[in-house]
Amino acid sequence: MTTVIGVDVGGTFTDLVLHDAATGEIRVAKRPTTPSAPERGVLAAVDAAVPADLLARCRHFVHGTTVGLNALLERRGATVGLITTAGFRDVLEIRRGDRDDPYDLFWTPPPPLVPRRLRLEVTERVAADGSVVRDLEPEDVRRAARVFAAEGVDAVAIVLLNSYANPEHEKRVADLLTAAGFAGSVSLSHEVSGEYREYERTCTTVVDAFVRHRMGPYLHNLDRELRARGFAGDLLVTRSGGGALTLAEAAARPFETILSGPVAGAAATARLAASLGLGTAIAADVGGTSFDTALIEDGRLPLLYQGEVVGLPLQSPWVDVRSVGAGGGSVAYADAGGLLRVGPRSAGADPGPACYQRGGTEPTVTDAALHLGMIPRGRISGGIELSAEEAARALAPLAGPTGIDGVDAVAVGVVRIAAAHMAQAVRGVTVERGVDPRGAAVVAFGGAGPVFGCLLADELDVDTVVVPPNAGNFSAVGLVQTDIVRSAARTMVRPLDDAALPAVERVARELFERLAQAGAEREVDLDLRHRGQEHTLTIPVRLGEDDVAAVSARFSEAYHRAFGHTLPDPLEIVTVRATSRVVLDDDRPLVPAPPSGEGARGTTRLWSFRRGAWTEAPVVRREDLDGVAEGPLLVVEPTATTYVDAGFAVETHGSGCLMIRRKDRS
Amino acid sequence: MTIVRTRYEEIHPGLGDRADPVTTEIIRQGLNAAADQMKQSLIRTAFSPIIYEALDFAVAFYDADMCMLAQAPTLPAFMGTLGFCVREAVEGVGGPAALSPGDVILYNDPYGTGSHPQDAAMVVPIFHEDTLVAYSAIKAHWLDIGGKDPYCTDTVDVFQEGTIFPGVKLYDAGRLVSDVYRMILANSRMPEMVIGDINAMVAGARTGAEALGALVRRHGLDTFRRCVARMYAHGEALVRGWFERLPDGVYQASSVIDSDGVNGTPIPFGVRVVVDGSSVTVDLTDCPDQVGGPINCPLPSTVAAVRIAVAFLAGAGEQPNEGHFRPLELVTRLGSLFHPVRPAPCFMYGIPSDHAIELIIRALAEAVPGSVPAASGGDINALVWWGTREATGEPWADGAPHPVGQGASPTADGASALMYISESATRFTPAEVWEARNPWRIERLALAEDSGGPGRHRGGLGLDLSFRVLEDQYLTSGLARTKLAPWGLKGGLPGRPNRLTVEYPDGHTEDFSLKTRIFLPKGAVVHLRTGSGGGYGPPGERDPEAVRADLREGYITPGHARRHYPHAL
Repeated sequence: MTTVIGVDVGGTFTDLVLHDAATGEIRVAKRPTTPSAPERGVLAAVDAAVPADLLARCRHFVHGTTVGLNALLERRGATVGLITTAGFRDVLEIRRGDRDDPYDLFWTPPPPLVPRRLRLEVTERVAADGSVVRDLEPEDVRRAARVFAAEGVDAVAIVLLNSYANPEHEKRVADLLTAAGFAGSVSLSHEVSGEYREYERTCTTVVDAFVRHRMGPYLHNLDRELRARGFAGDLLVTRSGGGALTLAEAAARPFETILSGPVAGAAATARLAASLGLGTAIAADVGGTSFDTALIEDGRLPLLYQGEVVGLPLQSPWVDVRSVGAGGGSVAYADAGGLLRVGPRSAGADPGPACYQRGGTEPTVTDAALHLGMIPRGRISGGIELSAEEAARALAPLAGPTGIDGVDAVAVGVVRIAAAHMAQAVRGVTVERGVDPRGAAVVAFGGAGPVFGCLLADELDVDTVVVPPNAGNFSAVGLVQTDIVRSAARTMVRPLDDAALPAVERVARELFERLAQAGAEREVDLDLRHRGQEHTLTIPVRLGEDDVAAVSARFSEAYHRAFGHTLPDPLEIVTVRATSRVVLDDDRPLVPAPPSGEGARGTTRLWSFRRGAWTEAPVVRREDLDGVAEGPLLVVEPTATTYVDAGFAVETHGSGCLMIRRKDRS
Repeated sequence: MTIVRTRYEEIHPGLGDRADPVTTEIIRQGLNAAADQMKQSLIRTAFSPIIYEALDFAVAFYDADMCMLAQAPTLPAFMGTLGFCVREAVEGVGGPAALSPGDVILYNDPYGTGSHPQDAAMVVPIFHEDTLVAYSAIKAHWLDIGGKDPYCTDTVDVFQEGTIFPGVKLYDAGRLVSDVYRMILANSRMPEMVIGDINAMVAGARTGAEALGALVRRHGLDTFRRCVARMYAHGEALVRGWFERLPDGVYQASSVIDSDGVNGTPIPFGVRVVVDGSSVTVDLTDCPDQVGGPINCPLPSTVAAVRIAVAFLAGAGEQPNEGHFRPLELVTRLGSLFHPVRPAPCFMYGIPSDHAIELIIRALAEAVPGSVPAASGGDINALVWWGTREATGEPWADGAPHPVGQGASPTADGASALMYISESATRFTPAEVWEARNPWRIERLALAEDSGGPGRHRGGLGLDLSFRVLEDQYLTSGLARTKLAPWGLKGGLPGRPNRLTVEYPDGHTEDFSLKTRIFLPKGAVVHLRTGSGGGYGPPGERDPEAVRADLREGYITPGHARRHYPHAL
């Protein structure tokens, strides 16, 4: 076992996770984020929570950062110049011609990351089959270099049409640019993405150039500071597609890290599900502002190969975590037509729900749950005193305009609607992949996840809910369980026939040369489709073992699962994907150590949704739970409360997780 | 002269009064989510890019009274159009009593779907125990179902436009009716594509039916019906709340359509909008009798045009249901451009309906000052290509809409190169995808400098697209608004109209608007210059810094700046 530290910087909190090889335990801590200087917040958390000797024997420091995301959100990054094929400099601004809101007459896209005067064209042309239609005109590149120098351009993105099929012109443009004296960083589209669709590839390449400028200095600075404190291991950075990158790779390919925030929770769920033998698991992370969910099958993370962040498409591996605005802070309101609605607007951490007594007056999901006794009254972690009176005061005004009878019924309505929102999000991630959620287990975590576990089980007709110890901090565990992962892809549209697999092997070999890592496991996937279709499924292949029939059969099986039918049409390869993975340590614990501390005990008055009535129910400290206990009851621990409704039974599993099972099928 | 008033009233007054508002909200969400599942299923399995990229389809649920429960957002042009065809499809096979579980009805009569025969609908009855409770319906564009050409701009009756299935069972109690299936295939130039899309539509409609059935089971039929009634009342209240804020009055505007595609003469028409309390009536009787060419707009599409024009302005931001439509009345004249009868040709029905949307919005400029932009390029600029591949002898066909500049608004410049609002969910296909698929080389894809209508706020720029054909092929052009420049508002100047030019290998050029089967010899270059947006307010009032920024970025040239914005130089 090795000692690993993970620090994940979120919008509100910085999570610190420690896997101490000496004790074998995973410990977690939360600190407020310092948005203006994230490295200071990271270092402060390290200084406060990690003794020097522990930092010195730490092998890996895994960092989840929002520096790249914030650069895009705030539009503070490099001054980027873009070089395109003649005739195509406006691709970045034309986009795909669609609107984020199709019903908004006035919708206007955000301004492009590269203004038009810095998007310059060079004469050249490569065809879709890679053949050169027109040679590159070197003088055009030199002219571009002069403009970039005069305009103070820091970084250049080079995106030539069809470069996925033949990158030679892109490479020559980079050489000519350097020869002409350009000294900033250069992003080449065939290296960044290698996939077709010029708008998406251009956008990805420009984002790479834009954020690299901030990411590299930030990471190197953090690395220096850690080393000054005695750290002698490797700094790793979490990746949007799962796993982590080395410092050098993250500085070189920062766009791969941009949306890694929600991945840790899904990754922790995947490892837990694999270990508990849950075939299909649903990660259900209920935080302050959102509900994040992901479908885990056989312990695997659900991957997509294109994502979008602040309206910008990125061709990059992406863990499919869906987020909806249904968290503890989501605000309930009566709409103009008199229906009760919940979210997506959130009261956030400040002022927070009305019951926090920090100036919030709008009713939230947390207020409703508190009113219904699903959360015990009194002090919660962070020293906030929950006021049931304030919660009731905020909820009461919703009764009139909605015609709902009384504050109890309003609170029940708010919680039911929030749970229905969460269930719809789960149906989205499962049904789209052809999975019936009914056979799955819900893994509930995040501050409010365990409050909603039973409601979700009823909404989804699921029988099992798993609540890991210290559920409020469970997602951070994903950080210290990470592997080092690198990936690359190349579009190669051709029929899947006997001649295709050797060609795939050639491309995969080239891709792996770029991904060279000692001791790595290699995985190759193919994006395949029926000829004539556009959308693809990504199918693993074993090169050297699989023949065309085996690959086709695997595709048909996946297609049937996703769409419920199979088709006789021939298959086509679209993209070859190579992934190289170094497993750091197979032996790490799956769940955090339980926190210690006093919690409420005794009984409480709570609302049973199953019975549709108030009931007096026991409140049990998590460590005191012994054998099987039947709902209704509350299981409390310092960072979370588990609400167990009537009709459910709970017991502590050997892993430390609470296992909640539905006793009936109402 | 027969005047037809189309309006929707509450069918079961009082049924929703005692419905639980919380369950109503949960069912409303559930219906919208189920419609979205149906949409995702179709997108992921469809063969035709017109479906999965252009989203040229509609998916919706209707209750047993044929009232719309929910529709997923796809093409706005299809908002609420499926009600007519669900009714006609069910009537076609003998009415609700003739339906059993496992049935799939095929229907593509243009006067019931509102569009051309290519837009074929599948209707699936949904049963709860033994009771028919709802329908799932999908209408999607098939690449070809006969007709004189794959895409027609010059038909003189509906029989030239495609093979018509007036409500027939494609599946009877779960069994494929092979006679019908074989007829479909025998009437298509692209049978493999159409089979793929049929399978995708059937799978999608069944996915939807299962999701809706589960929702009814979960809540019970009685609760479901009461909550649905309450949901409709809620939708109606939302829209009435917005209409009440409009000042009562009569608002009018008129315009001219280029031509009907057969007879070259311009076609004038006008709209009249009457706001009275919380009700709005749109009168489209001021138009010619149904015309000889294929631009007649069947009633369902006229209804949709009116609904979306109003929905855009109301900005409710909600997925619509039947209740949203109740405060709106439409007046049409039977046998006219906006309410044609058989056998009027209507393949290009979108031309008058798209034009009407923007004209209704313009008419309301006086009612809702500040909420109405100048005109956009005003058309989807549909082009269709087909041919036979030289190397393989395989037939191919493809088609796409193209983006236009948007009108400037009272507060901002118009956006450049977005799909026309009726087609706003459609994505433009990347050049690299085109080139990997079709025998073309795209030579230019650019914003058109100087094209935005000058004004205090500038119109959005149109698009210049040029591509060279590498093999002989055919092109059909569906361009409209090629003569009428997009209007400015409040002193803003017009933008540029749409234009299609073919440059032949011998150097001569020819312009086309509505034209079927233009032969493109290998080496010809097609230049599409899409319309831009009109300006808003006098150009002399434009902020000089905005003019200089436009010059710096090359959105305008120095000559254009001198002509329209001398005050800024």
